[in-house]
Amino acid sequence: MTTFKLPDLGEGLPEAEIVAWHVAEGDRVNTDDLLVSVETAKAVVEVPSPYTGIIARLHAKAGDVVETGAPLVDFDEDSGGESAGAKPAQEESRPAAGDEETQPRSDAGTVVGNVMSGDDVLQETAIAGGGRRRGRGRVKAAPAVRAEAKRQGIDLAEVTPSGKNGQVTQADLEQFQQQSQQRARPAARPKAPKQAAAPGQSEPLRGPRRAMAQSMTRSRDEVALCTLFDDADIHEWVNKRDFTPRILRSVVAGCAAEPALNGFYDAENVSRQLESRVDIAMAVDTGEGLIVPVIRGVEQRSLDDIRTAVAEMKEATLNRTVAPQDMVNYTITVSNFGMLAGRYATPLMVPPTVAIVGTGKLQHDVVAVMGGIEVHRRIPLSLSFDHRCVTGGEAARFLAAMIEDLEKPQ
Amino acid sequence: MADVSLIDALTMAMAWELEHDPRVIVLGEDVGVNGGVFRATAGLQKRFGAERVQDTPLAEGMIAGVSIGMAAQGMRPVAEIQFMGFIYPTVDQMISHAGRMRNRTRGRLHCPMVLRAPYGGGIHAPEHHSESTEAFFAHMPGIRVVIPSSPARAYGLLLAAIRNPDPVVFLEPKRIYRLNKQSVEDNGKELPLDVCYTLREGSDVTLVTWGAMTYETLKAADQLAKSGISCEVIDLASISPIDYETILESVEKTGRLVIIHEAARTAGVGAEIAAIVAEKGMYDLRGPIRRVTGYDVVMPLFRREMDYMPSVAKITDTIRESLND
Amino acid sequence: METIADFEIQYSQFLDPEGKASPDIPELARNTDELVNMYRHMTETRVFDTKAVNLQRTGKLGTYASCLGHEATHVGLAAAMHEDDVLAPSYREYGAMFYRGVRMSEVLLYWGGDERGSDFQGPKNDFPFCVPIATQTLHAAGAAMAFQLRGESRCAVSVNGDGGTSEGAFYEAMNIAGARKLPVVFIVVNNKWAISVPIELQTASKTLAQKAVAAGIPGIQVDGNDVIAVRHWVERALARGRKGDGATLIEAVTYRLSDHTTADDASRYRKKEEVEAARKLEPLIRMRKYLTSLGLWDDEKEKQLLEQSAEKVDQAVQQYLNTPKAPVESMFDYMYAELPEFLEEQREHAMHYGSDGEGHG
Repeated sequence: MTTFKLPDLGEGLPEAEIVAWHVAEGDRVNTDDLLVSVETAKAVVEVPSPYTGIIARLHAKAGDVVETGAPLVDFDEDSGGESAGAKPAQEESRPAAGDEETQPRSDAGTVVGNVMSGDDVLQETAIAGGGRRRGRGRVKAAPAVRAEAKRQGIDLAEVTPSGKNGQVTQADLEQFQQQSQQRARPAARPKAPKQAAAPGQSEPLRGPRRAMAQSMTRSRDEVALCTLFDDADIHEWVNKRDFTPRILRSVVAGCAAEPALNGFYDAENVSRQLESRVDIAMAVDTGEGLIVPVIRGVEQRSLDDIRTAVAEMKEATLNRTVAPQDMVNYTITVSNFGMLAGRYATPLMVPPTVAIVGTGKLQHDVVAVMGGIEVHRRIPLSLSFDHRCVTGGEAARFLAAMIEDLEKPQ
Repeated sequence: MADVSLIDALTMAMAWELEHDPRVIVLGEDVGVNGGVFRATAGLQKRFGAERVQDTPLAEGMIAGVSIGMAAQGMRPVAEIQFMGFIYPTVDQMISHAGRMRNRTRGRLHCPMVLRAPYGGGIHAPEHHSESTEAFFAHMPGIRVVIPSSPARAYGLLLAAIRNPDPVVFLEPKRIYRLNKQSVEDNGKELPLDVCYTLREGSDVTLVTWGAMTYETLKAADQLAKSGISCEVIDLASISPIDYETILESVEKTGRLVIIHEAARTAGVGAEIAAIVAEKGMYDLRGPIRRVTGYDVVMPLFRREMDYMPSVAKITDTIRESLND
Repeated sequence: METIADFEIQYSQFLDPEGKASPDIPELARNTDELVNMYRHMTETRVFDTKAVNLQRTGKLGTYASCLGHEATHVGLAAAMHEDDVLAPSYREYGAMFYRGVRMSEVLLYWGGDERGSDFQGPKNDFPFCVPIATQTLHAAGAAMAFQLRGESRCAVSVNGDGGTSEGAFYEAMNIAGARKLPVVFIVVNNKWAISVPIELQTASKTLAQKAVAAGIPGIQVDGNDVIAVRHWVERALARGRKGDGATLIEAVTYRLSDHTTADDASRYRKKEEVEAARKLEPLIRMRKYLTSLGLWDDEKEKQLLEQSAEKVDQAVQQYLNTPKAPVESMFDYMYAELPEFLEEQREHAMHYGSDGEGHG
C-alpha cells in the first residue's frame, strides 16, 4: 500500500481544502486520472493521481482542510502494472518525508535565501555622537613630518610646535634635531643618574620612580613570592653576544613547557587567566628610573625576528620614544639586573602577572665536565613566581625548560 | 522590556507610530496579510486595518511616487521596498521629487516619508537581492540615509526617521535581522538621527563601519584586543548626513582610521569619509587611511558572496597593517 | 471564441471651431458670467504667454515653455476644480494655475531661475511645476490617497502630455487609482507633439483615452479647444471622485501651436501647413464667436480686455524684474527642516563667495 500525501501546491502553502473527490474508495485509477479538487489560499487546483491502482482509503472528505504533507489517499498499487514503478518524483526527492512533514511549516521570515536567526543577547553601550571636544588631542603634524620624525627617531611630543593650530612643522623638527645634537655631545659618555635635589633634602618621587614605588609596594603586599635559582651553561653558544634574544626565546620555551607562569592572577576572584601569547616586558634601567617596554608575540617570532625587535626596543628606549601603550599589557617579565654586579636576586613581579625572570652577572665558572674541570660561561638565573597560583613544581619545570633552551648552541 | 531581534524592533517602532500618529501609513508590496517578505510588518494590518497598512500594486516607482504625494499632503507614509535590488525604479521619484520638494517650493511643501528597504548580502539570496548601494542615496541632497545595526538602534532610529520632516531612506541590514537580540523598551523614545554611535572606545585605531559589518568589525576588535590592540569602533548609523565631528574627534585620539563597508569600494561612502578626514584630520593622522570593502565587481551569487564581503580576517589584517605605519 | 471584454471611447465637443454650440451643450453654458470669466482667463493667459516669449527673446527670462493653443484645456480644467482640490501640473499649465490663484509674477520667477516661483501664494497645497515627465501623476494619486484616508471630499488632478502617456509612472498611477478607487482625475493634454516626436510615433493607440481601459477606469476624449467640453467633463469626473466612485482619464485633444520651448525650433520637424491648419481650430476664436453670438461680446470689449490683460501682465513683469535675487544662502535653507551641521560650513563658504551681481566675478 502506498500513501499519497498532500503536496505543497503553491509556494509554502500550509494547507488546502478538499473541494470535491473525483474518485471513491475501491475505484481503480490510472496515473494522471483526476483525483481530487482542492482549494488553496491561491487557487482551486486539480490534483491528478500519482499512481495506477485501487483507491484503498480517502483520508479526508469534501470540505475538510488538510495540512500540507498529511496523508490524502492510500493506494493498493497494481503489481507489475504499467505505471506501478513510476513513483512521483516528489516522493523520491523527499526521502526523509516523515512525520515532521505533517507539521505546519515554520516561518522562515524571508522570501528568498536564509536569514540567520539567533537568541544571543547583544550587550553594547552605544554612545550617540561624540560630543564636540576636538582640539585637545595628541600632537598634530602632517604625515610627511610624522614620517620624518619616525625616521629620525624623534618623539613629536617633545618638539615645540610653531605651526597653525599647534602643528609640528618640518622646520620645528629640524630645529629640534639641531638642539638635541648639541645636547647629546657632552652627554656622549656614560653618566651617573642625575640628581634632582641636593643631598639631605626631601624630594617627592616622580615619574618612573614613583610608579616603581607604587607597584613594588603592591607586589610586596599581595604576592606570595618564591624564587628559584640556577645557572645556564652557555659554553656552546655560536654567537656569544646573543644574550637578550636568547633569554627571550628561553622564556618562550619555559612558557611552552609550563604555561602556568605566563598569565594573570585575580586575587579578588581567586581565578587565574593563562595566556597563549607571550608578551615579555623587559625591565631596563635608565637615568630617570626603570622603564619596562614590551615585546609582543615573542612566541611567534624567530630568533632573527626577536633580535630585530630587541634592537628596535633598545633604540626606542634610548630615544625615549617608547609609547605608553608599548609599556602595558604584558604577560611575563624579564629583568637583566646583572649588567654591573649581582648574580642572584629575588625580583618582584607586578601583579596581576605571576612570574619574573632575573638574569645576573655573566661569569666564568668552574664546571665539572665528564669527570674533568672546565671553565664555562654561565648565566645566573633567578625565577620568581607567585606561589598563590603557581606551584613549585611548575616553576621548576619552567626553569628547567629555560635552561635547556639556553644551553643549545644556537 | 523584552529581548527582541532587529526586525522585531522595526515592527515595534512602526506599531508605535501607527498607534500614536494617525498620519502614519505603512505601504508596500506584501506588507499587509503576509506581513512583508521578511515579516517586518507582521501583524500590523490585523491591528491597524487595511487602510493604514496597505498592500500596493507591484510597482516600486509608484510606491515612492504616491508616498511623495501623500507626504506632501500631510500624511507620514512609511513605504517598504522588498529588496535594495528593486529600489532603482524609485530613484527618479526620490531624487527628482522627495529630495527637492522642500527646496523647490521654498518650504511650502515637504516630504516627510520613509522608504524602507532591506539591503546587503549574506543570506544566500538569488541575484539582485544582496546589493549595498547606499551611496546612491547618500549622493542625493535633501535625502537622509539611515542604517541601524542593533535592535535598539533599529527601534530608536526608525521612530526618528518616521518623525523626521525630511525624506529618509532607511536601509535595513537583513543579514542581522534575526542574528541576535537586545533588550528594547517599547517606550516610543527615538534616537538622534544624524550622529554616529561609538560602540567601543579605544586608543590605537578608529574603525568606522555600519550595518551588518558592525558584526565583523566588533569581532575583529575583540580579537585584536587580546593582542593588546585597542580599537575604537564607530557605527556610522547616519550615512547622510554624516557626523564627521565624532569621527574626527576619534581620529584625533587614535591617529589611525580604517573604514569597513560591504558596498563596492569606488565612490562608496568610505571614500567620502576618507576625503573628509584627509581634509580636516590630516594633521592627526599617523598613517594612511585604509578601507576594507566589497570589491568593485557585481555582487557574486551566493556561493561566493562571503568572499566578496569584508571578513574578520580581512579586517584584522588591515588594522595590523595600519598599526605598522 | 467569445468576446469577454470590450470598450468604446466617447468623444465630446460642444463648441465647434466656428463657435456654434451643439444642442446638448451643458447647463454651465447658461451661466454667462462664467463664460465671460473663462474667456477672460484664456485671453489673459494668451497675453501673458506672448509677453513671456518676448521676455525670453530679449534676455529677460530663461527658457520658457509656451502654452499657446492650450488655453481652453487649462482654463477649463481649473474652472471645474474646487479651491481645496489639488493640482499636479507639468510645466505649461499657466491658464490652470492662474485660474487657481498662482500669480503671473511667480511663473515668471520660476522660468526666470528663482525657486520662489514655486512658492505659490495662492493654492498652497498645489504641487509645483514638474519637469520629469509624468512623475506628477503619482503625486496626484498619492494626494488622492491622503484625501481618501482622511475621509475628505477633495480630489487631485494631474496634467501631463501625450508623450507622458508612454511613461511607466503614468500607467502605475492609473493602475493604483483604479485598484483603490482614488479621487483623482488624470488629464492628458494631447497636443500632438512631444518636442519633435509626433503622436503617431508615440503610440499605436487610436486614442490616449483608451489607456484608461487597462487600469479599469473610465476614459473619455474631449475637444481640448472647447473650454465648455473640458470644464463639463472634468466637473463630471471630479464629482465621481468625490462620490467615491474613483478615478477618470480625460484626453483633451488640442495642438501645440508654439515651439516646445523657446529653446526649440519646431520648423525643423513639422510642416507649416499643419500648424496653419491647427491655428484655425484654436480655442479663443471659437469662444469669442460664441460669446458674440450670445450678445455677450463685441470688439470694444475685446479691445478693453486686451488692454487690461496687457496692463496686468506688465505689472507682473515689473514685479518679477524688480524682485532681487534671493540671498545666496537660501539654496541651503530649504534643503532640510533643520540644516545639518556639515552643511553649515558649505553655507558659509557660499556666502563668502556669493555674488549679488550677475554671473561669477
